[in-house]
Amino acid sequence: MRLSEIPVEGIPYDQLKIEKYTCTPEYAERPADLIPSGARAVVVNPNRTCMPLGAMWATMGLHKGIPFVQGAQGCTTYVRYTFSRVFKEPATIATASFHEDAAVFGGRRNLIEGIRNLVVRYRPEVIGICTTCSSEIIGDDMVSNIKAAKAKLREEIGREAADAVDIVLINTPSFAGSHVEGYDRASRAFVETLATRQTGPNHKVNIIPGLLYPGDIREIKHLLRHMGVEGITLFDISDPFDAPLRPPQKFPYEPPGGTTATEIRDMANSLATMALQPHAGQAGARYLERKYGVRALVGQTPVGVQGTDDFIRGLSEVAGLPVPEDLLDERGRLVDSLADTFHHTMMKKVAVMGDPDVVLSVTRFVLEMGMEPVALAGSSVSKTFVHSLREIFEEGEFTGDPLVINGGDLFEFEEYLKKLSRLDLVIGNSKAVDIAKELQIPLVRVGFPIYDRFGYQKRAIVGYRGGEILLADIVNSILGYQYPDDRTHQL
Amino acid sequence: MTRKIAIYGKGGIGKSTTTQNTAAALSHFFDQKVMIHGCDPKADSTRLILGGKMQVTVLDTLREQGEDAVTLGRVCQTGYGGIRCVESGGPEPGVGCAGRGVITAINLMEELGGYSPELDIIFFDVLGDVVCGGFAMPVREGKAQEIYIVASGEMMALYAANNICRGMVKYAEQSGVRLGGIICNSRNVDGEKELLRDFCDQLGTRMIMFVPRDNIVQKAEFNRKTVAEFDETSGQAGAYRELASRILDTDGENLVIPQPMSMDELENLVVKYGLLD
Repeated sequence: MRLSEIPVEGIPYDQLKIEKYTCTPEYAERPADLIPSGARAVVVNPNRTCMPLGAMWATMGLHKGIPFVQGAQGCTTYVRYTFSRVFKEPATIATASFHEDAAVFGGRRNLIEGIRNLVVRYRPEVIGICTTCSSEIIGDDMVSNIKAAKAKLREEIGREAADAVDIVLINTPSFAGSHVEGYDRASRAFVETLATRQTGPNHKVNIIPGLLYPGDIREIKHLLRHMGVEGITLFDISDPFDAPLRPPQKFPYEPPGGTTATEIRDMANSLATMALQPHAGQAGARYLERKYGVRALVGQTPVGVQGTDDFIRGLSEVAGLPVPEDLLDERGRLVDSLADTFHHTMMKKVAVMGDPDVVLSVTRFVLEMGMEPVALAGSSVSKTFVHSLREIFEEGEFTGDPLVINGGDLFEFEEYLKKLSRLDLVIGNSKAVDIAKELQIPLVRVGFPIYDRFGYQKRAIVGYRGGEILLADIVNSILGYQYPDDRTHQL
Repeated sequence: MTRKIAIYGKGGIGKSTTTQNTAAALSHFFDQKVMIHGCDPKADSTRLILGGKMQVTVLDTLREQGEDAVTLGRVCQTGYGGIRCVESGGPEPGVGCAGRGVITAINLMEELGGYSPELDIIFFDVLGDVVCGGFAMPVREGKAQEIYIVASGEMMALYAANNICRGMVKYAEQSGVRLGGIICNSRNVDGEKELLRDFCDQLGTRMIMFVPRDNIVQKAEFNRKTVAEFDETSGQAGAYRELASRILDTDGENLVIPQPMSMDELENLVVKYGLLD
């Protein structure tokens, strides 16, 4: 297509066929031994982002909680940009604003001054201090720095006002893990710092959702409500990351909702802690179990029939309550939908990418639909990922041998997919957009981050109702691809 | 409860020799369960205890085999007198970040439960000067609560000791770490004992021990042994025994926040004793 032929309103997607030619022969055929990411010294198309993001995500889920990033400004800017792109909500995140001098002399002064400014201007109730690569490398003694910052606060705004602000340290050196680990570390840091005492049973159930979207958390709350269980959701981002636009708006902007510090303190008294993502939140659940004997239930994310069954069963058991009829109806509707669409989904070849917990739970669901996973790429390295997948295969009586990538990059994933003789669908986050376009097959968006479409963060894929949404997405993608025109391909 | 002790001092002053001999004396004469964690990239803090065996360091294992390969069985060895030895190791000279290496090694040991509670004493033998945040890791909150500085009667050794005290003052307020005293590892220079005593007075601490210079230390080193193992009846073994006993007896009264001297005061002090003859 010549430049002058391109219509002013843009190129329609079906006409967007770019002719490709190779510049060098080496480019055309990639050496097979360099395709696995472990064999390369370079990462091409990383599948994950950095550790502080997970800790900032967690802190954003607290009532009047503001993350404070002990590092250079870019560490904050990038995350705020990502949050705005994904959630379309403002994210207030403070930074210690490291410059050359902080790298040489340490970030102590930046932290003390920064905390002071943050508290005086924004009056947060909780501050989550996220360290970064630079502060970890120069060896900032954060425990003592925070003590000094508290002393300075007391001096300036008085003991009572200063002590009302909880400051929680989350060590997140990005070279040691991904955003998933950052969230996991935050889950432990917050309960360890705040839930310091057991005061008597509260008959509640702690929920650590992990890196789930506001819509998912609302769906979990819906399930709790129908079960008649009162829950404490640790890192309840449902309101801060999906806030209603209605007066009054406070200035400076203060997002509604979020878990309160009081609720976190109360977590030591709960019946049990359910961590919905084994890689993001398990650390907090295990800590409460070790320290206070609060039972930890760590299972796969409640996606699909069996995933949600596990969650409901666990909830019913710890709370000692029966499963109500209306939830059984919700389940029945999902099962009905599965049966209604089985002829479209069964034996379809699918590739799944994303954070390990998303890949695990979605794989479990696609097996329930009779689909055949051919490639599964978890974003961050995990000790349990491969084993958990094997368990899921066994449960689904799946005997195939898909490619499993445990923490590799998307280059490896893409090269493998290109060589397959048939692939019907990719399920994953927005980082897989280019891959799906290149392969000219549909992409069903799940997981974090989704920045190129609107609405995904507001709806659920967890629970029976979320399962129906995800199922509809998958089925419609297949239909749109296989039956593009009702006149020629009648359903 | 385990006492965690950090040993600092100018490079080449004899920190590792003193630490190992004291640890051996603590084990040999007082039946203490001791551990030495060497925090020097050169990884030479445990040679005498392990009889010259080169120890597999934490960071070498991390570099060559990855984090999962770092197990207590691999990086923690037991030597003379049941003394447990760990070496942090570090990057090759001139590359990477040795300070972060100290942090990483200590974090890994904590994760592995290497500082087990049945130990009586853990020594952190730290590289020369506290040049960056990483080398102060052993005295952060919840880690070593006592510092001993090894020095001798020379200007540069005192200058280094004074500098370490300056860094310590900040940490003393933050983490509660205290100075237990200065160990004089004698160089046999004139007026050494008096100079050190005066120096300690001005710092507000004590000279916990004047370790005399004796060739038997070198002899034992050639035999890859500590003095207590090489010849427990020697006078030098007695000196380390005395130092060990004084460390055991150290209590709150002797644990102080030092008052570091100004450069002028330090110069005056050296001139005073340097011009004696």
